[in-house]
Amino acid sequence: MSSKITPANTYIVVLIALLVLTVLTVGVSFVPLQPIGHVVAGLSIAALKATLVVLIFMHALHSPRITWCVIVASIAWVLILFSLTYADYLTRGSLPQMPGH
Amino acid sequence: MSLRDTLFTQAEQKALFDHTFLARDRLEEQYASLPHQSETAAFGMWVFLATEVMFFGTLFVAVGAYWIFSPKTIERASLELNWVIGGINTVVLLVSSLMMVLAIHAAQLNRQREVFRYLVLTAGLGIAFLCFKALEYYLDYRENLIPGFKFDDAEWIARGVDASQLGYVKMFLFLYWTMTGFHAIHVTIGIGVVVVMAVLTRRGHFSAEYYSPLDVTGLYWHFVDIVWIFVFPTLYLLGTHTL
Repeated sequence: MSSKITPANTYIVVLIALLVLTVLTVGVSFVPLQPIGHVVAGLSIAALKATLVVLIFMHALHSPRITWCVIVASIAWVLILFSLTYADYLTRGSLPQMPGH
Repeated sequence: MSLRDTLFTQAEQKALFDHTFLARDRLEEQYASLPHQSETAAFGMWVFLATEVMFFGTLFVAVGAYWIFSPKTIERASLELNWVIGGINTVVLLVSSLMMVLAIHAAQLNRQREVFRYLVLTAGLGIAFLCFKALEYYLDYRENLIPGFKFDDAEWIARGVDASQLGYVKMFLFLYWTMTGFHAIHVTIGIGVVVVMAVLTRRGHFSAEYYSPLDVTGLYWHFVDIVWIFVFPTLYLLGTHTL
């Protein structure tokens, strides 16, 4: 609901970019990579697509600061979710002398 | 004479209607201006989307955890999913997102008929997504990819998965059904909301000054698209595909 109206062409260009990135994601899955390669490539391209959708389709670029607070907070909390969970799972077996490892 | 006309006079009907959410193109008392009200509505939807991020986030964490425990098994399991239909669905949702944002664009320019058309296209593509999903689910059923219901241990052992790792295959497939199932429920709700918005647009409820419900619907729809953007590589593209 801002006074700036993005031209329709911008949206169409963004869609084409998203479709190209989709083709790229599928294409990369055919390249024999180390397992971590597919994960990293897939998620990076997905993050880029999501960024385009959030910034342009969801008008985040023209949104008030309070919306940005919510976007940043979501990302922050998801990062906490991932980092603390994997801090557990990735370190299992690292300290044999400790109980539970 | 409808039941409504029998029970209420025209003046009473108008008074009743003005108190419903359908008449909310008027400024509510607690807001300084109509844009302030619309921005607050959008903010509310963003907060809800933040909770949805946490909801789906835990499922992604689970997939990652199982991949850490048994990467080769999870990748082999991922190869059995239908990436072609998954890819088609990704394209369908991306185009539907464009239709949604063009509907809002048309609302900003007060092009009522265009708004209606784009909303119908959005809902239509959403229904197409669900049709492809149904087809995919049917094919998965045929291929014994439903742990606890239709699953063949021997098939997976023949595919090179060690018998001790079969549990990981089942967990991965469970997560596949859960994530895509919850996502499909969200798409269905979204289609319902978009259809309601289309009907309201047809009745002339929105204008260039007031299209806040369309804005909020758009945010929800784009979020559903974003979830799928992450679901697709996480579930379907973990292993190396061959044509």
